[in-house]
Amino acid sequence: MTRLVQIYTEREHQILGGGFILLLIIAWESVPHLVTLPRALSLFFTTPSKVSETFYELVVQNEFQTHFYVSAVEFLLGLGLAILAGLPLGLIMGRSSVVDAMFDPYVTALNATPRIVFLPLLILWLGLGIWSKVMIVFIGALFPLLINTYEGVKNVDRVLVNVVRSFGANEWQVMKMVVLPNSLPYVVAGLRLAIGRAILGVVVGEFYGATKGLGSMMAKAASAFQVDVVFVGAAIFMGISLIFTLTVKRIEANLSRWRPDVVKTF
Amino acid sequence: MALKEIYTEYQRPILGLASVAGLLLAWELVLTYLIPVNPFFFTKPSLIATAFREQVLGGRLSHDLIISSRAFLWGFSCAIAVGIPVGVLMGWRRRAEYTLDPFLTALYASPLIALAPLIIVVFGVGLVAKSVLVFLLAVFPFIFNAFAGVRSTDRLLINVVRSFGGKERDLYFKVILPSTLPYLIAGSRIALGRGLVGVIVGEFFAASEGIGFAIARFGDTYQLPEMFAGISVLMIIAVVVTEGMRKLEAVLAPWRVGQEAR
Repeated sequence: MTRLVQIYTEREHQILGGGFILLLIIAWESVPHLVTLPRALSLFFTTPSKVSETFYELVVQNEFQTHFYVSAVEFLLGLGLAILAGLPLGLIMGRSSVVDAMFDPYVTALNATPRIVFLPLLILWLGLGIWSKVMIVFIGALFPLLINTYEGVKNVDRVLVNVVRSFGANEWQVMKMVVLPNSLPYVVAGLRLAIGRAILGVVVGEFYGATKGLGSMMAKAASAFQVDVVFVGAAIFMGISLIFTLTVKRIEANLSRWRPDVVKTF
Repeated sequence: MALKEIYTEYQRPILGLASVAGLLLAWELVLTYLIPVNPFFFTKPSLIATAFREQVLGGRLSHDLIISSRAFLWGFSCAIAVGIPVGVLMGWRRRAEYTLDPFLTALYASPLIALAPLIIVVFGVGLVAKSVLVFLLAVFPFIFNAFAGVRSTDRLLINVVRSFGGKERDLYFKVILPSTLPYLIAGSRIALGRGLVGVIVGEFFAASEGIGFAIARFGDTYQLPEMFAGISVLMIIAVVVTEGMRKLEAVLAPWRVGQEAR
């Protein structure tokens, strides 16, 4: 008994946290066994076991893979383009005050606006294929990357820059030796936020206008009251973004161990 | 040389204004004189301005904005009412933190908007579904910022209140709340952005009125100037509110409370 107590006190954190999630799942699963739901409600109700069954069926029928492939391509293309555009732009804005002043109104305005409002416009321009989704992912992911790179460059230690300069370094060498290493943790933090925004873009873009992809699968299933399928999609999206964001978070924590703990943001 | 002095003093706003004005001017001129506008594909600022004026005068715009803001306010107030107590509890009671933190972090990190079709199917098209969406997206910044705010409270101040015989209530209202406030302002800025996403997605997906619905419908019917007018209105509101929050944050907490998400 004392041994059990000891184990508990050592691992209280994990036991309470994991136990709570486990408890919720068990409670959810056992609701239909404990109470008979009214018919109207049972239409919307599903249990974790049914959801995983549906998932298995979708995989066997190869339906899941086709949708997943489309969503993954949209995600990767959009995020890749955002990285290719966001990092250089952030770097330039951070180093040149004229470019900064000229671009700042656009960055502020586009960053404050939920980028989702451009979706109807993008669908009008680019059609229902993958490119409208790639673009919405791109503009969603661009700003966290751009702004964080910018902040990283701006927060460079002036003294270090001056030291390197006095030893005769040119702008490129200043970048390589001081600016880039200093902004790396910021860029990684930006990447974490960008991943979240990118997944949001994929989901919503496919809800609104798409014929393929996990989001469109969910939207179709919802209008046909196939709640299981909706939950499969939601669970996949949540799982993926959890894995990604927590991985990047770990990298971030390693890179910026010296920085004080900040509020969680996703 | 006074001009040069003025320029160096106000370089940032001058350059910013010039680049915005230049872009608008170039947009208008290119589409007027070089390439004729294809009204199904693109539009120009003068047409957008006309569409905007018509919508304002017709009362359509204010109607849509009122519909959308009602859903937003309901969801947002519920997020405040639930998020802050939960966050304070997590910050104050270690066991509550252990129990709730993994679960809430998982929800915060995942795209809850993926549940939108389900929420709309369950709650129907209208105010409730949209408010639920706003609530789901906006509650987490409040929880985690209240949590961080309570955690960052100076132990010394708590001990002082305790040693002078302060009650639990004094502790909350005299120490914890004031030191949490800047965090809450920062959190509400983030929650605002997320909440707006909730309203717009809800209205894109299933609605019969509201600003998001209006934008989507103008897109479907190729009324580009009207759509751009709607988007600009939303942009202006978003910029004014978030920048206002940022100013408020700077006044209430001149030090940075560590929010890299903008």
